[in-house]
Amino acid sequence: MVPITYYLLLAAALFCMGMFGVLVRTNALVVFMCVELMLNAANLTFLAFARMHGDGIGHVSAFFVIAVAAAEAAIGLAIVIAVFRSRGTVNVDDIRTMKH
Amino acid sequence: MDGIIDFFRTAPIPPDVLAPSLWLIIALPLLGAFVCGVFGRMLGRANVNLIACSAVAGAFVLSVLTFWATSDSAGGRVVNFPNPFGLERDVVRYALAHDYGTWFAAGDFRVNFGLLVDHLSGTLLLVITGVGFLIHLYSTSYMEHDEGYARYFAYLNLFVAAMLTLVMADNLVLLFVGWEGVGMASYLLIGFWYTDPAKAWAGRKAFVTNRIGDFAFLIATFLIVLLVGAFNRQADPRDFNAAGTSRERYEQALSERGPVNFKGLEKMAQGLPEGTGGKVSLETPIESGPLEGHTFGGVMTVAMLLFLLGAAGKSAQLPLYVWLPDAMAGPTPVSALIHAATMVTAGVYLFCRMSSLLVLSPTAMATIAIVGALTSLLAALIAFAQDDIKKVLAYSTVSQLGIMFMGVGMGIFWAAALHLVTHAFFKACLFLGAGSVMHGNGDETDIKKLGGLRHEMKWTWGTFLVATFAITGIFPLSGFFSKDAIFHGVEHNHLHGLHWVSEVVYALGLVITACTAFYMSRVYLLTFEGKRSSEARVAHAHESAWHMTLPLVVLAVLSVAAAVYAFPLMPRAGGGMQPVFENFLSPVLRPAETVAKAAETVELDNSTPSLLAYLTAWLVAISGGGLAAYLYLSFFPKRAGQPVGAVARAVRRVAHNKFYVDELYEFIIIRPIKFLSFILFRVVDSLVIDTVFVRGTAWVTARVGSALRYLQSGDAQAYAAVMAVALLGGVAYALIQVLQ
Amino acid sequence: MSFFDTHLLNVVIYLPLVFAALVLMLPASEPGQIRAVTLVGMLLDLVFGAWAYLRYEPGGPEFQMEFRVPWFEHFGTSYHLGVDGLAASLLMLTVFLGPLVVLASTTYISHRIKEFHLALLVLQTTMLGALASMDVLLFYIFFEAMLVPMYLLVGVWGAEDRQMAAVKFFLYTLVGSLLMLVAIVSLYFISAPPGARSFDYATMYNNLLSANRSLAACVNGPEGACASLTGLAKLLHTWGPWMFAAFALAFAIKVPMWPVHTWLPDAHVQAPVAGSMILAGVMLKMGTYGFWRFAIPFFPVAAQQARPFLATLAVIGIVYGALMCLAQRDIKKLIAYSSVSHLGYCMLGMLAVTVEGATGSAYQMLNHGVSTGALFLLFGFLYERRHSRLMSDFGGIAKVMPVFTVAFIIITFSSIAVPGTNGFIGEFLVLLGTFKSSLSLGFGAFATLGVILGAAYMLWMVQKVFFGALTHRENQHLRDMNLREVLTVLPFIIMVPVMGLMPQPFLDRIAPSTDRFVARASVGAPGAQVKDDQLRVEAMALPSSATAAAPSAHVPHAARAAAPSPRP
Repeated sequence: MVPITYYLLLAAALFCMGMFGVLVRTNALVVFMCVELMLNAANLTFLAFARMHGDGIGHVSAFFVIAVAAAEAAIGLAIVIAVFRSRGTVNVDDIRTMKH
Repeated sequence: MDGIIDFFRTAPIPPDVLAPSLWLIIALPLLGAFVCGVFGRMLGRANVNLIACSAVAGAFVLSVLTFWATSDSAGGRVVNFPNPFGLERDVVRYALAHDYGTWFAAGDFRVNFGLLVDHLSGTLLLVITGVGFLIHLYSTSYMEHDEGYARYFAYLNLFVAAMLTLVMADNLVLLFVGWEGVGMASYLLIGFWYTDPAKAWAGRKAFVTNRIGDFAFLIATFLIVLLVGAFNRQADPRDFNAAGTSRERYEQALSERGPVNFKGLEKMAQGLPEGTGGKVSLETPIESGPLEGHTFGGVMTVAMLLFLLGAAGKSAQLPLYVWLPDAMAGPTPVSALIHAATMVTAGVYLFCRMSSLLVLSPTAMATIAIVGALTSLLAALIAFAQDDIKKVLAYSTVSQLGIMFMGVGMGIFWAAALHLVTHAFFKACLFLGAGSVMHGNGDETDIKKLGGLRHEMKWTWGTFLVATFAITGIFPLSGFFSKDAIFHGVEHNHLHGLHWVSEVVYALGLVITACTAFYMSRVYLLTFEGKRSSEARVAHAHESAWHMTLPLVVLAVLSVAAAVYAFPLMPRAGGGMQPVFENFLSPVLRPAETVAKAAETVELDNSTPSLLAYLTAWLVAISGGGLAAYLYLSFFPKRAGQPVGAVARAVRRVAHNKFYVDELYEFIIIRPIKFLSFILFRVVDSLVIDTVFVRGTAWVTARVGSALRYLQSGDAQAYAAVMAVALLGGVAYALIQVLQ
Repeated sequence: MSFFDTHLLNVVIYLPLVFAALVLMLPASEPGQIRAVTLVGMLLDLVFGAWAYLRYEPGGPEFQMEFRVPWFEHFGTSYHLGVDGLAASLLMLTVFLGPLVVLASTTYISHRIKEFHLALLVLQTTMLGALASMDVLLFYIFFEAMLVPMYLLVGVWGAEDRQMAAVKFFLYTLVGSLLMLVAIVSLYFISAPPGARSFDYATMYNNLLSANRSLAACVNGPEGACASLTGLAKLLHTWGPWMFAAFALAFAIKVPMWPVHTWLPDAHVQAPVAGSMILAGVMLKMGTYGFWRFAIPFFPVAAQQARPFLATLAVIGIVYGALMCLAQRDIKKLIAYSSVSHLGYCMLGMLAVTVEGATGSAYQMLNHGVSTGALFLLFGFLYERRHSRLMSDFGGIAKVMPVFTVAFIIITFSSIAVPGTNGFIGEFLVLLGTFKSSLSLGFGAFATLGVILGAAYMLWMVQKVFFGALTHRENQHLRDMNLREVLTVLPFIIMVPVMGLMPQPFLDRIAPSTDRFVARASVGAPGAQVKDDQLRVEAMALPSSATAAAPSAHVPHAARAAAPSPRP
């Protein structure tokens, strides 16, 4: 059996990659995908602990996260499309209007 | 003869029937005030006159019945009521009282609507309603051309009601109702012709000055309440025994009647002197409560001095006399009733009422006497140079009140009260005479522009002359006897440890007598004698209607007749004879005498004045009047047109400007307060509190908010970076914690 | 047991709200109907309020006409109403002012009439609710809800600077009350162990009582005695002063005490006549009422320590408020500052912790509602005619408006406490109580100065406005009061001598509350004789059906608090 440390390391790696993407990429779609990556890293952690403890709570949480991620993706993509329609770009650096 | 005495000793209405109806005496004028004030315009002038006069006349009739009842001794049993503060057998003789229940109560404190009529308040009842009625009658003619007659009579009736409350109250707080009530009515009446700002201002000045006195009155009342509480806690049976009561009775009465009842205060005064052998004396320190550590006597002195300030406000004594001369802005009958006969004597009445407390404090008594003497002298000097007939009379009122205060201060209460009564007669007569003069001369008040009225206004002249003789102190008019009784007492009574006061005050008294004679003669001579002034407003004065002359005649007759009261006709208890009024007031003033004897604070002298004393006083008065006659009939008319010496002019100017006291007050009190309030408003309130603190807080919040705004870059990735860094920091912190 | 035995207070509180619903249904184009319905609502409320006032038996239990049902039991709250003597009196004052306020605004308000009357009715409900709440959280909710309609009254129907004044008023009072919320919640947590926690006034007070007594014993005892305190007493020793400060600040702003009074002049000056009347008449009393009911009884020891400080502020308020009046040119501002002075008397009387002082303080609350309410009302009439608040724009109007002048002068005499008017009783008792108290004599003496200054500024204003010659041409054709206006003022004019000459019926209802207040406040005083039977708050337990429905631990606790001594 693979020790839990490996799962956690993998999850951390995934999370860091996702976070890195969120912080540096300018394309809103890619930022979204990176967010998904972070969520999945969290899911992996949940499942790993669920496996370790041998109960179902982690699974439940993971399902919740998946559901939320799906909803978020749907709304997020809709927003991105709306932004693209009104501004012609999905570059996050160009849509910094919510300031001061 | 016995039949007549029996007739006077049997009251037409038995006291026990009358006592529960005492409230009617106050209620009648109050009702009159209400009807005149609310329905006056609808009723018309004649009806208002009728209602106002009959309300006071009704009160007068009731007062006569009450007064009669206070001397009732039908069937050999003197009218009396049980003293609630004394033992069961302790009765207050020659008095009626009725308690109408609680006015307000909180905790141990209670004030009842209790009315008390004894010989002192009975006399004043007659003066107030009697003189009041005459002045109402006079006013019907005096105010016949004034539009505001309904308002005028409403105020006047209100005043009478308040004044009656003042004298009939059986406790300090109810007395204070009348005390402030008369001040309120006086405010309204002084400012009666409100369209003239100066008159409205005079009313306000009177009220606010009186309020300064009321401030002291209130504090004194509170101190008295505390004192009663302390006495009740600390006294032992011997103290209560000396006061003629027991702890149970006293406490029960306190809980039923409250601590400010005059009878209770009297009992406390009787329990306080050293000689009782009890635990409490004037030097005993108070053990607990807010007054802890102060002695009973010390607190009593402070309370009495505060009452003096209160009385100085109402009775126009130093340092608060300044409102009275300005109060002459009101209609003349008002000046006669309020500012001469009744209201201003309230201070004298207060001290007579509380005489048993007052005699416990020689310091306070000496202060009262000296304040009275100085006020009297100052007012007399100012009166020398006043040309307004009403102003002269106003200052003369201040001066005469000062004489009464001298009497009160030296412990000759009955004479002060007698002078109060006689003064009410002759001063009301003088004021009404002045009003009649004004009425007949187109409202001219400057005595320099009158003159020669002797032939044109015969009734006014005659009565004014009698009243002038009375106030000057010419034998055998009432003023002579009452004033002399005061001065005799002043000379022969001695305050413990303060013997010099008697001599000083007596000497001042003689000077004042001469001054009074001088300025009163001056007013009389300039107004009535000599030739009619060329500056007169109307060529020929006309005599007033009977409504106005009848009161003058009645008052003049009374000014003469009241002298009877000062004659030593009644047998004294210890042998010899005593003046009628002293005998008459003895049931009221005896407690004060016993307290003074026990406490050894005042040596009261009971002798009657000798012929020599009478002669001295008479000569002093004659010389003052004679000097005035010489100066104004012969000296000045001869020198008319010649230049006056610089010194004489300067003296005259200073006296004419009332020694600049008003200006002094303006400068040291009114201006600083106005300035202070202005500075406080501009600097403390508007600037420091509102601008710096309140708006400052809002401003700082807004500034901080706008500074923080710039952190909001709109770059979602920057926010995410901050979150990531914070997360990392948190993780690192947690790791360090775990690893340690 | 009839409906009214249990629900009378509910009726009084929610009747205005019911009428608000009626008004809501009326078309906005019918101002006459709206006014009539509001007036009827207020009058009906007056009838029920007076009934409740008369039903209050002075000799009976402390809180009467109680009503309690479960409400968010998990938090330990319940919907609990009840009035003691003071609350009943203030309730009476509130319903008394209600119809008069509506009458006073008949011509004053000319736009958004429907919204205005809605705000009035809602405000009435919140004020009555705050007075009758026996649950601290419920009180807080009403206390805060009051701000909203008042904010609207000032902000929408006010004078030229209304926005500023409304915001200032709102934020100022909110700051204090949010701190108070923190204190309430922390008190909730410390006053009982988990499971027994309750927001109920009686439970909270009774839980704190023994801790307060041991704290008082150690604070007034030898040095260092407080080190041995445990549990709640220790917490109170540490945090009590802070919590008291939070309560005190909230209520002091509402009173308002010096130096947190500056919202009052602005709010009064800008508010419409109705706003000023309610603000002066009732809302300021929420501050004094809060001190009386919550701040001082909950933290008697901290209150005792802060007493000289607060009393100093009260005396400063009296003298300072009066001095401020002398510097005003604006009549409404003058009346507002006179409120600061009068409320100073209320606070001083309360802080004296003597029966006389507390009675005077409570009575002064009622008096101030009558006399200052009437002053604002009368000035409102003048403002409608002339649209100026400056004294210099008037002068000599006694000539053209005699009836108005008489009314104004009568109220002025009441305001400066001439004996025979209501003001005298309150002021006299407050000052007497202060002299009798353990505060030094200087407090009383300085406070008495207000007697002089009061006369000085009020009569100065009267002279400036009413006396002298008619100098302004605009004033020459002012009309006197009409019948509606006379009828609006008449109740005030009648109350002045009635409350001045026959105060005992009013005082009788206040008396049981003052006795208990003094007993509760003197828990913190050194060496005070405290009557145990007056300390505990006896109140209704939750109905048993509720206990059965919610068998968690806290409800039985609330019941236990009241159980040991059966109601007399």
